[in-house]
Amino acid sequence: MQEELTYPTTPLLVKADDLPIDPYEVLRYIGYRKDQVTEEDIKQVNERIKKARPFIAPKACYRRFNVLVKGDGYIELPYGEVLSKDLTRNLTGCDSIFMIACTIGPLYDRNMVKNRRISMAEASYLQAIGAAAVEDVVDILNKELERQVKEEGKTLKPRYSPGFGDYTLENQKGLFQVLAPEKFTGITLMNTLIMAPEKSVTAIIGIKN
Amino acid sequence: MKFTEKLYDGFTYFDGGCGSILQAQGLQPGELPETWNVNHARIIQQMHFDYLLSGVNVLTTNTFGANPYKFGDEGEYSLKAVISAAINNARIAIEAVEKGVDLDGNPLCEEDLKLVAKDHFIAFDISSLGKLLKPIGNLDFEDAVTAFKAVVRAGVDSKPDLVLVETMTDGYEAKACILAAKEESDLPIVLTCAFDESAKLLTGTPPKAVVAMAEGLGVVAVGINCSLGPEQMIPAVEEIAEYASVPVVCNPNAGLPRSENGKTVYDVGPDDFAESMSKIIDAGAVVLGGCCGTTPAHIRALNIMSRSKTPSKITKKNHSIITSYTHAVEFDKKPILIGERINPTGKSKFKQALRDHNIDYIIQEGLTQQDNHADVLDVNVGLPEIDEVAMMVEVVTELQSVTDLPLQIDTTDPIAMEKALRIYNGKAMVNSVNGKEEVMEAVFPLVQKYGGFVVALTIDEDGIPDTAQGRIEIAKKIYKKAAEYGIDKKDIIVDPLCMSISAQPDSALVTLEAVRLIRDELGGKSSLGVSNISFGLPQRIIVNSNFFTMAMQCGLNAAIMNPNSVEMMKAYYSFNALSNIDNNCGEYIEFATSIPETTVVSPSGAAAGSADQVKSAGAGGANKDPLIEAINRGLKDRAASITKEYLESKESIEIIDGYLIPALDIVGKGFEAKTVFLPQLLMAAEAASAAFDVIKAKMNEAGGDSEKKGKVVMATVKGDIHDIGKNIVVTLLENYGYEVFDLGKDVPPELIVETAKANDCKMVGLSALMTTTVPSMEETIKLLHEEGVDTKVVVGGAVLTQEYADMIGADKYAKDAMETVRYAEELFAK
Repeated sequence: MQEELTYPTTPLLVKADDLPIDPYEVLRYIGYRKDQVTEEDIKQVNERIKKARPFIAPKACYRRFNVLVKGDGYIELPYGEVLSKDLTRNLTGCDSIFMIACTIGPLYDRNMVKNRRISMAEASYLQAIGAAAVEDVVDILNKELERQVKEEGKTLKPRYSPGFGDYTLENQKGLFQVLAPEKFTGITLMNTLIMAPEKSVTAIIGIKN
Repeated sequence: MKFTEKLYDGFTYFDGGCGSILQAQGLQPGELPETWNVNHARIIQQMHFDYLLSGVNVLTTNTFGANPYKFGDEGEYSLKAVISAAINNARIAIEAVEKGVDLDGNPLCEEDLKLVAKDHFIAFDISSLGKLLKPIGNLDFEDAVTAFKAVVRAGVDSKPDLVLVETMTDGYEAKACILAAKEESDLPIVLTCAFDESAKLLTGTPPKAVVAMAEGLGVVAVGINCSLGPEQMIPAVEEIAEYASVPVVCNPNAGLPRSENGKTVYDVGPDDFAESMSKIIDAGAVVLGGCCGTTPAHIRALNIMSRSKTPSKITKKNHSIITSYTHAVEFDKKPILIGERINPTGKSKFKQALRDHNIDYIIQEGLTQQDNHADVLDVNVGLPEIDEVAMMVEVVTELQSVTDLPLQIDTTDPIAMEKALRIYNGKAMVNSVNGKEEVMEAVFPLVQKYGGFVVALTIDEDGIPDTAQGRIEIAKKIYKKAAEYGIDKKDIIVDPLCMSISAQPDSALVTLEAVRLIRDELGGKSSLGVSNISFGLPQRIIVNSNFFTMAMQCGLNAAIMNPNSVEMMKAYYSFNALSNIDNNCGEYIEFATSIPETTVVSPSGAAAGSADQVKSAGAGGANKDPLIEAINRGLKDRAASITKEYLESKESIEIIDGYLIPALDIVGKGFEAKTVFLPQLLMAAEAASAAFDVIKAKMNEAGGDSEKKGKVVMATVKGDIHDIGKNIVVTLLENYGYEVFDLGKDVPPELIVETAKANDCKMVGLSALMTTTVPSMEETIKLLHEEGVDTKVVVGGAVLTQEYADMIGADKYAKDAMETVRYAEELFAK
């Protein structure tokens, strides 16, 4: 390595084939309890996963920030002070965080748009498969981040997304401002605070000493 | 030397990273780098200056994120202020270096100036707006153009030398930006896109499709930047160079970034960078620079390395290509099938769909043809009694959101043609121009502006020549006129026209001869609407399919035909296999083993296969009746065929009430009891729908109108784009016999009120997924009340609760689709 430069947001390469996409997880999103799943259901879902995979193009990025948990529910986040008791509980004992953004890409949305025209049933399977797939991307990124902090003798807290508990969706704006995931992942925030592509996740992950 | 001349004079060097350098200088997270043009001007000038000493020709301004969504019209950091400061900073650096002094005016020594280039240019840098366009995001194409126009206007007065559209990950957004630059300036435009490791854009577009679209729009150079290191870019650069007739640009990152001790590190240093760039030069790039993580040291090393290299010759390429957002279709050896079904001519159902504004029907025609392997879809929606311009825009917009096939814009109305070409996501096929002066003068300027591959009919003011040679003369005339507009022969496809052999016995022979001459004498491409040949004859398909084979044998490149016709597809697949353009007869075998005995490929044939495997919903125990069973199991084709049988002995209404609705009730109850899940519920609904279609057809035949239980408006409210829940309710309501006005998603309150009023709908269903759009729901309900619309409002969606529903004044909260249906049943029973 001959040159070293810092850059705020780091992408992580993830391939569609790296995503396990557990059929049980997909069925759970559809509403099944585990004891209701039959072999036939699994076969059905696996066939659909196979068909959906070519439309998955995962992207992920993250950035590490310092954070100050001030007490009384106030936290100093990189984009400003936030009042959230739930996030405070989550970040207790942390003085830094990762901000992450993951997606399975816009082509998947296209495919859902198309299937909504053809068959709502297929579209609802795609919905569930997409949800499971983006969770897999998050898990892969989470493992990588765990590896990074392990070297420092630290661990990660469960991830926390805007919209969880009293950490409002409004916080997406701040998160997008400092993480700027558009360039690396193509994830954008609409004025409705909904992300596009639809199957995207942003979150904060506390780094515990 | 002008920039456009410099591009053809040896290598042209762009600068390297900017954002990464500013971060090293202390740019804070969330701080907008463009503000530094004003408040840290010296740092920006120094960066430009350092790049110039490394031998750079083209400085890119620090305006990557300068757009109206981030900067306002007024104040110290207005859009205009940050952009003009940025261009000015670049100019100050250039002036200093050209005078041989540093930024303080101290003279530079010869060693410092050793690499300095002779010609310097300022590239006005524009990148993504940070929003996704419809249908994935909510940004309208024209709104994107408007935003980019504001950016371009803010910079043109400062007189940059070119516009650089860079780091584009969506070809559609790139098109919006290029159009804006063309409409607001005369500056040359360079496009570089961020292809990922699979050599595609985020939207799935490959390099050759980007090249075709960009050249159609008139860029002076095209290439790749960001996202990858130089090594990983080689395949994309090779593909761009293979297809581009303009110079190829390559501005890679300093390798791939990774995290090390909490810092992001780019691991390709200047020497390795230069070494990899040497391969990029061999791959065909002549415009070279860097992106994230690259520094003046990288560009210096690149500059020194390239002195021993010879730039690739920039040659005109002869590929005839059209594109969609995902892929390119090339007109070469293999004949291209252009599906003709989206066209009202001679199709009464299609005409009715146009009159009824039944977009779904039209889209289905497109999807069926795609299932049957059309390569391109012709889109003709002209009917005297409708607004063709509006319909064309709507159909193109909807089609390109659900199909990835390129479209052929088929209209004689120049306004419809322009609007369609403008919003088209890619490089379209244009149908058509002909030898008439007036027509050429209307069509060619549009192709010049938006790009396109044009069908040229060999007819002029004197009609259609009787001889093949006569038609060739018209083709030549069209080529010549096109050239005046800068449209190359490769972007024209000649249609020598065929008239019916029943009226003109030698017509086929003349046309076939013309097809051969287009290939052998003109070296051009040819297309035919093959079905005209049999007009007036019985069993036309026999003549059509054989004529199709004969035309392909004469070198036909494309046919406008019906891909749903098995006979036509037989001709196509066997011709390809016989002509050795079907690898190992693979496509032929796949086709031949799939065709049913009927002469028309069943549009729903593919879907039936998967539905067959759906497990029984099993909610109601053993359902002895086969129709109820078929619906419960979601078997569309079976439900339809049993319904057909039943109709021979039963009344329509008896089947609906006695079978369809009970069947749906069974799955509905199962769904409520959580023994049946959403996909099965929907499959059952779709099967019932297939059965219902059969009944509907029978009713129409009998002349009676199908009995509707009541009228309902359904909408996902303004600001919300999640419509899956709403669509489920629509499907179920329709199955239960209601007439549903489905207004879609992101629907303004006014439209909902208007529709309910105009159609006297007694029920309005509103859906919202987001807490943030509940107020919009409330607003809609308020407006309905204010306007005195006599209707009940039912609300639903993930965030809704009984409390919310009460708070916003809804008449009913439905926790799921079935509850909405039950409410409708109660409401309309009264």
